[in-house]
Amino acid sequence: MDFVRNLPFISIILSLFSGPLSSILNGKWAKRVNTAVISVIGLMSAAVLVYVLHTGQEFVYYMGHFPAPWGNEIRVGILEAFMATFFCIIMLLCMLGGIAERQKEIEESKQNLYYIMVNLLLCSLLALIYTNDLFTAYVFVEINTISACGLIMIKQNGRTIEAATRYMIMSLLGSGMLLLGICFLYDLTGQLLMSSIKEEVQLLAASGQYHIPLIVSLGLMSVGLAIKSALYPFHAWLPDAYGYSTLSSAAILSSLVSKGYIFLLVKIFYRVIGFNVVCDSKVINVLFVFGIIGMIMGSVSAIKEKDIRRMIAFSSVAQIGYIYMGFGLGTEVAVVASVYHILSHAATKSLLFVAASGLTDASGGSRHFRDLTGAGYRNKPAGVAFTVGALSMVGIPMFSGFISKLLFAQAAMGHAHKMLPTLIALAISTVLNAVYFMKTVIRIYTPVPKNPDEATVNVLPTTECTNISAKEQPVKFVTLILFIILNLILGLNSEPIIRLIETGLNMFG
Amino acid sequence: MSEICMLIAILLPLFGGILVPLLSFKSRRIMLIYMETVVVLTSVLMFLLLLGRPEEALTVFRFTGNLSITLRIDGLGGLYAGLVAFLWPLAMLYSFEYMKHEQNEKSFFMFYMITYGITLGVALSENILTMYFFFEMLSLVTLPLVMHTRTREAILASRTYLYYMLGGAAFAFVGMIFILTYGTTSSFVPGGVLDMVKIGDRTNMLLVIFVLCFCGFAVKTAMWPFSSWLPKAGVAPTPVTALLHAVAVVNTGAFATMRVTYFSFGADVLRGTGAQYTLMVPIIFTIVYGCSRALKETHIKRRLAWSTVSNLSYILFGVILMTPMGLTGAMAHMLFHSFMKICSFFCAGAVMYKTGRNYVHELDGFGRKMPRVFVIFTVSALALMGVPGLCGFVSKWNLAKAAVNSENTLAYIGVAALLVSALLTAVYMLTIVVRAFFPGKDFDYETIRDVEDPNWMMLVPLFVFAIVIFIFGLHSGPVIKLLAEIAADALAG
Amino acid sequence: MDGMILISIALPAVAGILLLADSFARHLKASGTVGKKPVIKEMTGKQLRGMHAFAGAVMLISAALTMIAAWTGERSLTLFILLDKIPVCFKIDEIGRLFVTIVTIVWLLAGFYAFAYMKHEGEEKRYFGFYLLLYGVLVGLDFSGNLITMYLFYELMTLTSMPLVLHNGSREAIMAALKYLFYSMCGAYAGLFGIFFLYRYCSSFTFTAGGTLDAAAVSGHEGLLLIAVFVMLVGFGAKAGMLPLHSWLPTAHPVAPSPASAFLSGIIVKCGVLATIRSVFYIVGPDFIRGTWVQYTWMTLTLMTVFMGSLLAFREPVFKKRLAYSTVSQISYILFGLSLLTPTAFAGALLHTVAHAFVKCGLFLTAGVFLYKYGYTRVEQLKGMGKKMPVAMWCYTIFALALIGIPPTNGFISKWYLAQGSLQSGINVFSWLGPVVLLVSALLTAGYLLPVTMKGFFPGEEGTETDLRKDEPSPCMLLPLIILAVLVLLLGVLPNPLIQYVTHAAAVVLQ
Repeated sequence: MDFVRNLPFISIILSLFSGPLSSILNGKWAKRVNTAVISVIGLMSAAVLVYVLHTGQEFVYYMGHFPAPWGNEIRVGILEAFMATFFCIIMLLCMLGGIAERQKEIEESKQNLYYIMVNLLLCSLLALIYTNDLFTAYVFVEINTISACGLIMIKQNGRTIEAATRYMIMSLLGSGMLLLGICFLYDLTGQLLMSSIKEEVQLLAASGQYHIPLIVSLGLMSVGLAIKSALYPFHAWLPDAYGYSTLSSAAILSSLVSKGYIFLLVKIFYRVIGFNVVCDSKVINVLFVFGIIGMIMGSVSAIKEKDIRRMIAFSSVAQIGYIYMGFGLGTEVAVVASVYHILSHAATKSLLFVAASGLTDASGGSRHFRDLTGAGYRNKPAGVAFTVGALSMVGIPMFSGFISKLLFAQAAMGHAHKMLPTLIALAISTVLNAVYFMKTVIRIYTPVPKNPDEATVNVLPTTECTNISAKEQPVKFVTLILFIILNLILGLNSEPIIRLIETGLNMFG
Repeated sequence: MSEICMLIAILLPLFGGILVPLLSFKSRRIMLIYMETVVVLTSVLMFLLLLGRPEEALTVFRFTGNLSITLRIDGLGGLYAGLVAFLWPLAMLYSFEYMKHEQNEKSFFMFYMITYGITLGVALSENILTMYFFFEMLSLVTLPLVMHTRTREAILASRTYLYYMLGGAAFAFVGMIFILTYGTTSSFVPGGVLDMVKIGDRTNMLLVIFVLCFCGFAVKTAMWPFSSWLPKAGVAPTPVTALLHAVAVVNTGAFATMRVTYFSFGADVLRGTGAQYTLMVPIIFTIVYGCSRALKETHIKRRLAWSTVSNLSYILFGVILMTPMGLTGAMAHMLFHSFMKICSFFCAGAVMYKTGRNYVHELDGFGRKMPRVFVIFTVSALALMGVPGLCGFVSKWNLAKAAVNSENTLAYIGVAALLVSALLTAVYMLTIVVRAFFPGKDFDYETIRDVEDPNWMMLVPLFVFAIVIFIFGLHSGPVIKLLAEIAADALAG
Repeated sequence: MDGMILISIALPAVAGILLLADSFARHLKASGTVGKKPVIKEMTGKQLRGMHAFAGAVMLISAALTMIAAWTGERSLTLFILLDKIPVCFKIDEIGRLFVTIVTIVWLLAGFYAFAYMKHEGEEKRYFGFYLLLYGVLVGLDFSGNLITMYLFYELMTLTSMPLVLHNGSREAIMAALKYLFYSMCGAYAGLFGIFFLYRYCSSFTFTAGGTLDAAAVSGHEGLLLIAVFVMLVGFGAKAGMLPLHSWLPTAHPVAPSPASAFLSGIIVKCGVLATIRSVFYIVGPDFIRGTWVQYTWMTLTLMTVFMGSLLAFREPVFKKRLAYSTVSQISYILFGLSLLTPTAFAGALLHTVAHAFVKCGLFLTAGVFLYKYGYTRVEQLKGMGKKMPVAMWCYTIFALALIGIPPTNGFISKWYLAQGSLQSGINVFSWLGPVVLLVSALLTAGYLLPVTMKGFFPGEEGTETDLRKDEPSPCMLLPLIILAVLVLLLGVLPNPLIQYVTHAAAVVLQ
C-alpha cells in the first residue's frame, strides 16, 4: 500500500491532536503551530489529490485494518481530496487575513483557545469530507457545530454571545433532524456504512417498499443540513454570527463551515441514497423553491443593510440559495454547478470579509456605510480587492462568479419546467447583487468632500479616517492578493476544475 | 498575421490608457500628444483592418469547452468598428480642450481610452460570449467616467447607471445561455444558429427568452421602461455624454440587439411572432416618449439625452422589423444618428465649457456670439428633425420605407410615431436655435459679452461632423448600398 | 440650356446667402470682441442704397432668368441621386410654369414695395437676404420634377420663410414664427407620412399626369393607402390654411412685416395648394380617390374652412388678422375646386390661385401702407383713409371687389368656374352645397371688406379738414399696388388667354 493512502487519516489526526497541543502553548506559539498544521495538511491533501488523479480511482482506508461494519472507513476520491486541499487553502488565507483583528479583539489569555477551536474545526471538516460512515459524519457534524460556536463566542461581547446561542439552537435543531434521518435510514437498511446503505436503498427503491419512510428520512437529513448551512428561512442566526464575530471566524464560518455541511449533503445524495432516488423524490423540489426564495430574499435583506459586514453576511444567504437551487434542479450538471459555486463562493466571500475589514480599519473601525465614504482611497489594496469580490459576486466575466452563474444557467436550460423560473431568478438575483455590491463599491470610491455643504453633509464620515498602505498591513495585503489570484484562477481557468468535479462526482455515483 | 492585429487594436488603447496615470509626463501638452497618438494609431490600424479584412477568426482565450473569447470582423462589426474608430480621435481632440477645467484629468483619459478598446472589442466579437464579456466590461469602465465629477448628483447618477447596466446584462445573460444551449454554435452566423430540432415544441419558451434578452441588451439603448438612466448620466463631462451616451455605449446596445436578433436567434424564426409585437409596442412608445420628455426638459444636455432615447428607439424599431430593409434602416440610423447627436452634444458642451450656462433659457442671443457653434448646432438640429438633404432624412426614409414594406400593422403606427417624434424634435431643437439667433429686439448683448467661440480643438470636430452630415445627406447612395448588402447577408442564412 | 433651371434657383439663393453672411458678419464685428461694448452701426444711406441696388438687380435678373427658363420650351434637369434611386430633378410643366409666374410677379412687386416699407422695420439686409433665398427655394419648388425634390424644397421653404415672420423680433413675433414653424412642420410630416406609403405603392415618384399608382401593388391595400392619402392632404392643407391646421395664419400675418405678409398670403400658402395638386393629380391620381370617403371628407373640410374663415374674418377687428382669416377662407375655395376632381373645377381652382395671389398680395400691401404711414392696425382706425390716400383706397376697393367676385375682376371669373365645376360634378349633395357655401362666403366677404372702403371714403362728420389732407405714400409703395390692381382688372376683362391656358392644363391632368 502506498504511503500516500495514509495521509487523509494522518491529516485528521494531526489536526485533532494539534488542538490539545495548542492548549499548553501560549498564543503566539499556538498561532505558529496552527499555521504550520494547516499548511502541512494542505500539502498532504494536495499530495493525495495528485495521487488520486494519477491512479484515476478512489481508494478506501480501513482504520486499524478492520473492514466495515466493524471498523471505520475513509474513502478518498478526486473530489474529496480536492475539497480538502481547497478548504485548507481558504482556511489558511482566512487565518492570515485575520491576524491583526484576532490580536486586538481576543483577550491575550484566550488566544490559544481560539487555535484549539480552529484545529478542531479543520479536523471535523476533513472528517466530514473523507468519512464513509454516516454516523461518524454525524459525530463530526456535532464537533463542527461546537467548534464553530467557539469561534463565534471568542470575541466576547453581548452580540456574539447572543449570536452564538442562536447559532447553537438552530444548529442543534438541524443536527437533531439529521440524527433522526440517520436513525430512520438505519432502521430501514440496518447499515451505517455509506456504500452499504446505498445498496440497500437502491433495492428498496426498486421494489417500492418503504417509500414514505425513505422520503421522510431523506427529507429530514436534507432539511437538517439546510438549517445548519443557513438556507433561507433558517438564516436568522447568520447575520449576527458573521457580522459580529472576529474576522477570521466570520470568514471561516461563511466560506467553510456551511460548505462542509453542504458537501456532506452532496455525499448523502450520491453515496448514501443514490442520486436517482433523490431526483425521483419531491424533496428536491422543496430545496429548489427555498433556494430560489433564498436567492432573492437574502439579497433583499442585504440591500436594506447599512453595516458592511452584515451586508456581506446576508449576501451569503443568497449564495447558499444558489447552491440549493442547483441541487433542486436535480441534474448532474446542476450539481456540478453547485459544487463549483461552493468553491467560488468560499473564495469570494472570505475575500470580501477580509477586504471589508481593511476598509473598516481605514474608517476608524466603523462598518457603517456612511463612514466608509472614500475608504477605497484610504486603503487601496482593500478597495481593489473588495471591488474584485463584488464584481465576482455580480458575475462579471473573468471572475469566478461568472462561471458559476454560467453553469447554473446552462444546467437550468436542460430542465423543462424549472428553466424559466431559474433563469429569471438568476437574472433578478444578479440585479439585486449588483444593487448592493456596486452601491458599496461606488461608496468606497466616493471621495470625502473637502468643503461639505448642505447636500453632502449626510455622507460625511462620522469617525476618524486614517490612510492605510500595504506596508502597514503586509500580511493582509498578501492575503488579499492571494485571494484575488485564487478568484481569477477560478474564473479564467475553470475548465480543468469543472472536469475534476465531474469525474469526482462520477466516482461518487 | 492580420488576425492578431484585431487584438492589438483592442489592447492598444486599453494599455495606452492604463499607462496614462503611471507615466509621468513633462507637460500636459506631451501627455495630450501621447494620447492622441495612441488613439489615432488605433484608428488607423482599425481602418487598415477594415480595408484588408482578415477572413479568419482569432481565438484569444478559452473559458470552458466551446466558450471562448474570439474576434472576427464581419460586415456589421466592421461597420460599427469603423464608426467608432472615426469618432474617437475627434472626440479625444475635443475633450483635450474640454477637460481643461475639470479635475482628475488623468483618470478621465485613462478610462476614456480604455473604453475605446472595449468598444472595439464589442464590434469585433465573433461569438455571443465575447460580446457579452465586452458588454459587461463596457458598463464597468464607463462607470468612473459617469461619476467623474464626484458630486453627490454624479454619484447617484452613476449608481442608477450601474444598476440599469448590470440589470440589463443579467437578462441578456439569459439569452446568451439559451443560445449556448440550443444553438448549433455560439458564433454569430447570419440567419441565426438555433437548432430547431433541439427546441422542438418549446417555441414559446424561445420567444419569452428572446424578449427578455432583447430587453436586456436594449437597456443600454435606453428603451422605455429602462430609459431613465440616460438623462441622469448627463452629469458626466460632455465628452462622455457625447461620445458614450450618444454613441458608443448606447449604440453598443443597439448593435447587440442586431447581433442577437439576426445572428443568433435568427430573424426568420421570430418574424411575425408574438415576441416581435411585444417588443415593438414599447419601442414605438419610446420613440414618442423620449421626445416628449425632451420637450419638457430645460437642461440642454438632458434634453439632448432624452432626444437620444427617442432616436435610439428608431434603431431598435428598424431592428425589430426583421427584414433586410429594416436592418438597413437601423444601421443607417445608428451611423447617422451618431454624427448628428455627437455634433449637437459637442455644441452644447462648447456652450457649457465657455460660459457655464446649462439651461435652454440662458442661450438667448448666443447665435451671434458663438456663430460657428450655433450654425453647426442648427445643422445638427435640422438633421435630427429629418430635413431632406441632411443625413437624418436618409435614415428616417429607410426606416419608414422598411416599416411600410413590412406590411405589419403595428409598423404603420411606428411610421406615424417616427413623424410625431420628428415634429417634437423640431419643437425642442428649433426653440433653441430660434432663441440663440433671434433673442428679440430688446435683447441686451451686454449681458453675454463674455461669450465667444471656442478654440480650434473644439471646432475641428464640430466642422468635421457637420460636413459629414451634409455629405451623407446629399450622397447616401454608396453607404446605403453597403448597408443593404450587409443586411442582405445578415438574413441570408 | 438646362442649366437655366439651376441658375434661376441658385442665383437668388446665393445672393441671399451672401447678404445674410454680410449682415451676420457685421453683427459679429460689432459684438465679437470680448470686453468691448458692442456697437451695431446702422447702415448709412449710401450703404443702404448700395444694398437696395444689389438686391434690386438680383431680383430683376433672376426674375427675368426664371421667366426665360419657364416659358422657352420644355426643360428638365436631373442633379444627383438623393435617396434610393430617386434623384433631385426638375421639370417644367404647365402647373409649374403657372405657379412660377405668379410667384415671380408677386415677389417682384412685394420686393420693390419692401425697399420703401422696410425702412421702418430695420435689419433690412437680413430681410432681403432671406427674401432672395426664399425665391430660389420657391422656384425650386415650382420646378421640381418629383415628389422628393418637392418635399425637399417644401421643407426649405418653411425654414427660410420663418425668419420673415419673426423679423421685427418682438416676443409676439417670435412666438408667432414658432407657431408657424411648428404648424408647417406638422403639415410637412403628415405629408411625409403619405409619401412613405406612396413610395411603397407607386411605380415612380416622377410627376406624371394621372398618377403613378401601381395597381397590382395597391390591390388589397386600398384602405390603408386612402388613410395615408388623407393624412397627406390634411398635412399639405396645413400650409394652405385648411382645417384643422389653419390657426397659424391669423397669428403669423399680423406680426410679420406687411410685404412679408403679402408674400406669405399670396405665395407661401399657394405652395400648399401646389403640393396638393402634385400629390393628388400627379402621384396618386384623381381616379383613386374619386368617390371615396377621402374625397367627401376633403370636400367637407374645405367647405367648412371656407365658411368658417369668412365668419371669423367678419368679426375680426384687427385689419391684418381679418385679411388672414380671409386667406384661410379663400384658399379653401381653391382646395374645394381641386377636391371636386373635374376639369372645370380644376381650371377654376387654378384661376382662383392666380386671382387670389394678386388680390391678397394687394390687400396686404394696402394694409402695409396704412400701417407704415400711420401705424393703424385696427379696422375702425381706417376711417377717412380714402380722403388721405385716394389712390391706395381705390386700389383696395378693386381688390375687395375681386375677392368678393364682382365683375369685371378676375375674382368673378374664377368663382364662376368653381361654381360651374361644382354643379357639373354630379356628386349628390356637394354639387349644390358647394356653390351655396361659396355664395354665402362671398356675402360675408363683402361684409368684412367693403365697410373699410365705405368708411374710408365717407368718414362721416368727425374728421376735420386737416386730418383729411391728401397724403399719398411714396411711389415705390404705390406703384406695386397700382400694377396689381391693373392686373386684377386686366385678367377680369381679358380672361381668355389665361382661361385657355388653365383649361389646357386641366385637360392634361384630368384626361
